[in-house]
Amino acid sequence: MPPSGKIIELRQVLAERFPRELPPPSSLLATGIDCLDRPLEGGLRRGSITQLVAPLPSSGSASLLHELIESMQAASQFVALIDGKNSFELIDPANLLLWIRCDNVSQAIRAADLIIRDGNIVLSILDLKQNEARELRKVPATAWYRLQRVTAEFETTLLLITSYYISGSSIAALQINNPLRITDFTELSSTISQSRLIDFIYRKNHHVEPQYAQA
Amino acid sequence: MPKPKLFAVVHTPYFRLQCAQQKLLNAEIESNRQTNLPFFGESKTVPKTGDKIPSALLNDAEIIEINPAADAGGVSIGITPSLALARAPELQIYSSVAEQEEQQQEALLQLCYRYSPFIENTSPGVCTLDLRGRKDQHQEWWTRELLTQWRILGFTAQIGIGPNPELAEQAAKFANPYLEVNANSQLLRSLPLESLQPSHELLDILHNWGIRTLGELIRLPREDFGVRLGLEGLALWDRASGRSTKVLHHMQPPETFRESIDLEQRLETLEPLLFVLRRSLEHLTLRVEAVYRLVAEIRLLLLLDNEETLERTLQIPAPTRDVAVLFRVLAQYLETVQTTAPVVGFALEVFASNPGKHQFNLFQSGLKDPNRFFNTLARLAALVGNNRVGIPEKIATHRPDSVRMQWPAFDWMDKTPTSTKPPRIGPALRRYRPPIPATVELISGKPAKIQSQSVNGEINKLAGPWRSSGDWWHTDRWDIQEWDIELAQGGLYRLTLSAGSWSITGGYD
Repeated sequence: MPPSGKIIELRQVLAERFPRELPPPSSLLATGIDCLDRPLEGGLRRGSITQLVAPLPSSGSASLLHELIESMQAASQFVALIDGKNSFELIDPANLLLWIRCDNVSQAIRAADLIIRDGNIVLSILDLKQNEARELRKVPATAWYRLQRVTAEFETTLLLITSYYISGSSIAALQINNPLRITDFTELSSTISQSRLIDFIYRKNHHVEPQYAQA
Repeated sequence: MPKPKLFAVVHTPYFRLQCAQQKLLNAEIESNRQTNLPFFGESKTVPKTGDKIPSALLNDAEIIEINPAADAGGVSIGITPSLALARAPELQIYSSVAEQEEQQQEALLQLCYRYSPFIENTSPGVCTLDLRGRKDQHQEWWTRELLTQWRILGFTAQIGIGPNPELAEQAAKFANPYLEVNANSQLLRSLPLESLQPSHELLDILHNWGIRTLGELIRLPREDFGVRLGLEGLALWDRASGRSTKVLHHMQPPETFRESIDLEQRLETLEPLLFVLRRSLEHLTLRVEAVYRLVAEIRLLLLLDNEETLERTLQIPAPTRDVAVLFRVLAQYLETVQTTAPVVGFALEVFASNPGKHQFNLFQSGLKDPNRFFNTLARLAALVGNNRVGIPEKIATHRPDSVRMQWPAFDWMDKTPTSTKPPRIGPALRRYRPPIPATVELISGKPAKIQSQSVNGEINKLAGPWRSSGDWWHTDRWDIQEWDIELAQGGLYRLTLSAGSWSITGGYD
């Protein structure tokens, strides 16, 4: 049930009177991709899970993923890609990328857990976009919660890419809304990534309502 | 004024016996654990060791070394074991183990080398140190440290310090456990002549003269003594008076760090093996530390009951002396090992390296804990498969999806990012592994409609075909046609025609 107008109004008043404190820059991991860093006010939050939802079959999430890996490489940062369906296509050599090719969600979550607990990798990307929704739904909420706790404990950054929003685990969830077209084949990859229309669908401790509540 | 010379001698009494005791202790502790008997109890399997238990070393049916308790019990060197047991029924008899003695002698030299670069491998269990250059006036702290380390390896020893090697050795024999003497020391003067081990002839002459101790000897005038007994007599007088200038045969300890143990019982489970391996690892690490080095590689050789051996060398990504880290590497490997027969022994060898020097450039960062990282990698490989984790590397071919996984090298953290590449065009592909078989309807030779288990619909727009082929000289030659398609309901895909069959090889995303 959507919240009543009074509650929305009250939240807006509270947000204006007590503006949310911006996180210190050290707690953010700048991705170097404007369309991600801008809404996240500087980058991915360290010690948290940020979720990127790509509901459309071709919405540019893989292009964004490549752009992100490239950007982190340029900054000499190690990235671990936990590939839930072994679907990553290598385009350019990536010296600082650790690719873990999983077959299913369960394997991917366990691999993510190991990588996060290791504490050596700056950014871990758990890409479950290609995993089927019914497989994702089988994952108990406690598993996501545990992943969140581990991420916080080891102060690593986890970007979770899925085809639908998984509630409860992430500090923020962003959704890519524009589909790719065949005309995009003539565009530069960076342009495609930067032109993704990304909106919040969830943001912890923020007055912006989830998109599903407005529907 | 020149600084007086100073020498130290580390003397390990009944060294060979201690080696044999140590070897048996390791093996017996293990068998005790295996049978779940309390380690602290008076179990029958636990060997009684230490000075209070009469013990003797046997070689060629003859007692060759005894401890003070055996001596007090009437056992003497040279008698047969049956006679020894008749004199001391509690006597523990051990067989000599040459390999163990050699390894432990190396360990002693390595420990001593930490305190002086000028050492001599004097005799089994004895090492002489030339202390010139040591700035500290008080020798007690380092001798205590050395004795503690030697005790960790399972040995009790004594250290004597004196103005020459002979006096230092004499002092070591009477030390408890540390004694510093000078040439005028009353203790030295009261020592019997035998302590300097003169020849029998010389000893007989001196005994006939009524001279029994070193003090009595040096009261005789040196020149007259030399006139009567020649050079040998002079040398003895000099040694007794502390004037001796024995030349030490300096050596460098070998940089081999190896321990081998033959277990008393056959081990069928991992836990007891890990227990005894950890102990050996601790010993070896201590020796590596003594020479200011780090462990870079561990070689493990398991001896199996069916006379087979299993050997494995384990690299340590970031050399360390942390026993916990090294043990984790070892344990992790052993968890994956299945042997064809129970383990009856092992040899553990570690290879040392110098502490590494590394400086990152301004924007480069390293792994916080490389050892932990490579440990995690091994766990990941166990989870997803060996060839499914690593650094992706393109194979030099145009064949689609040609990529191999490289296990990160130990200097992975030193890798610089790849240089600037030309900008990419078009969206990235998510490859379907394996490709999804599809049925494609063609209109004018171009795909117009597609049907598959997951992607279906009218094709709205397309680009292609992109033809490629290769490896025609091989049996696995390839020849494909690729189309980029956009479905009417949305979604960009790559359609591939290979050997007359259509498939969707990926989706653009």
